[in-house]
Amino acid sequence: MALILVVDDEYGIAEVLEAVLADAGHEVVTAMNGRQGLERLRERRPDLVLLDFMMPIMDGSAMLKAMGEEPAYRDIPAVIMSSLPESAVAEAARGTYAAFLRKPFKVGAVIDLVNAVLGRHA
Amino acid sequence: MSTDPTGRPRLERVATGVPGLDTILSGGLLRGGLFIVEGSPGAGKTILGNQICFRHVANGGRALYVTLLTESHARMLLHIGQLGFFEETIIPDRLYYISAFRVLEEEGLAGMLELLRREIQAHDAGILVLDGFSAIEEAAISIREFKKFIYQLQTRAAIANCTMILLSGAKPVAAEHTLVDGVIELQTKLYGRRAERSLQIHKLRGSGYMRGEHAFRITGDGIIVYPRPEALLAAPSTMDYVTGPPVATGLAQLDRIMGGGFPHRSTALLVGPPGIGKTTLGLHFLSQCDDENRGIFFGFYETPAAILDKAKALGLPAARSIAEGHVEVIWQTTAEGLIDEACHRLVEAVRRRRVRRLFIDGLQGFEKMATDRQRLGHIFAAFANEFRGRDVSTLYTSEVDLIGPVAGLPFSGLSLQGVSCIAEIILLMRYVELRSELHRMISVLKVRDLGINSALHRFTISKRGVVIEPDSSNAEKILAQAMRQNGGMGSTAAADAARGNEE
Repeated sequence: MALILVVDDEYGIAEVLEAVLADAGHEVVTAMNGRQGLERLRERRPDLVLLDFMMPIMDGSAMLKAMGEEPAYRDIPAVIMSSLPESAVAEAARGTYAAFLRKPFKVGAVIDLVNAVLGRHA
Repeated sequence: MSTDPTGRPRLERVATGVPGLDTILSGGLLRGGLFIVEGSPGAGKTILGNQICFRHVANGGRALYVTLLTESHARMLLHIGQLGFFEETIIPDRLYYISAFRVLEEEGLAGMLELLRREIQAHDAGILVLDGFSAIEEAAISIREFKKFIYQLQTRAAIANCTMILLSGAKPVAAEHTLVDGVIELQTKLYGRRAERSLQIHKLRGSGYMRGEHAFRITGDGIIVYPRPEALLAAPSTMDYVTGPPVATGLAQLDRIMGGGFPHRSTALLVGPPGIGKTTLGLHFLSQCDDENRGIFFGFYETPAAILDKAKALGLPAARSIAEGHVEVIWQTTAEGLIDEACHRLVEAVRRRRVRRLFIDGLQGFEKMATDRQRLGHIFAAFANEFRGRDVSTLYTSEVDLIGPVAGLPFSGLSLQGVSCIAEIILLMRYVELRSELHRMISVLKVRDLGINSALHRFTISKRGVVIEPDSSNAEKILAQAMRQNGGMGSTAAADAARGNEE
């Protein structure tokens, strides 16, 4: 079982991911923007972050950058989620993410990707 | 703020970039204003909101699209991505999508206001679309709090110089309508089994706008609005014109009957039953076109290829004019057609090609598309003024039933849909049935301010097209024999009498 932080501003996405990942045996905490995500991160260090790209207040690339600046969080794998193609987010995220997930996604694809990334960083 | 020539502050506009909409809005939305776009689900609000954002970015601006309880961004972009205005590369740098529903849920209206202020500033947005505005009203604990929110939103829009568009469900006049700068309603109405979309401006502070319902379509390129042609052309593009010599009809004999041809810049109406030669006469009219005097064949029934074949088969110079591009053949189908779209297509073609001769075949095409026939007279009057101002001579056709008018009552059975009042000339074609043969006749019924020969003339359709006899002697003989044959009644009267006897 892993602790997964889901950061997404869209109502419904975070809730669905929370339920699906919980069914797959993981513990999930959620945040609705990058700033809140960093707060959750400091409360409990997750094993993986599922991170939306376009969000208010602090977007996904800004949160990734903030994580990279803190040695304690630098090695937490992050999966970027976006309705844009990976090429649109890659430059802003500067390759500091472990994997990319294009929205809309299928539940099975999320579970497979999360388990694969967790396996690589175990 | 810029000023007008009298020194008054000029209200700055931001173009929506939606074809036709800025014309209706007298140039666009007020910069820094607050607007409501409302309509039922499926009315096209989300497409309109996105289209305005994409066009604003294409014009060098930045935009922010905020959703509340709507479809997910991924689904929305998937759908919008199918439309021609979508440009993926502008997201997220110049067009940014966020969801604010969780903020609304957790922090209320105050949190929403603060979020919008921050995000407009962060993204330097000149346009903000708030999709799912009804959720704000539902979240407000009182009408007073809701009104206060709108007031605060308006203040922030003005301070940030950001035009805000709130997308909301359809509702009757509501509190928020009194507070915002403009209200645009999108509707879908059923006419029989056919549905038509329309757009109406209910309010626009600070300027005039084109009132009434304007048809629109959602096409592969997004929304296209067709301002009502009778409103758009209420004031013709050009008023300053002079009359000139008569315009040759393309038939020397007809010119002689009419004292030289159609009056310069006139509107003529050619009435007759099917198959009698109306289209052929129209092709004679267009045979006079060249590079300096271009023409349009605007028809509802035959394809451009069929028209070209007909002109070639009759050996008419129109075939060459079409082939060389001096005459453009526009085919407008009536199936699922919008009369407003057809009118815009026609007016646009006339403006684009510097047209001098226009042949419209025929009136019934417009009538079939019209959901409100009361409009037709106004539309044709607007056409007449606009085309006259553009130095265009226009010839319409109108179809009557096969038997045709009663002898002695030339206007019987005619359905002119308001054109008769704006037509300077009415030409009447009719069949006369004599024993086993159908004879063709033509007469000029009305020429304003000109002396005409109104006698019936027999004509034939030969390999050279329409051939009108030089005098009316044959026509008189045929008509006299037909009268005797029918016992002194015209053909229609005889048919009516026969029907009456059967009953």
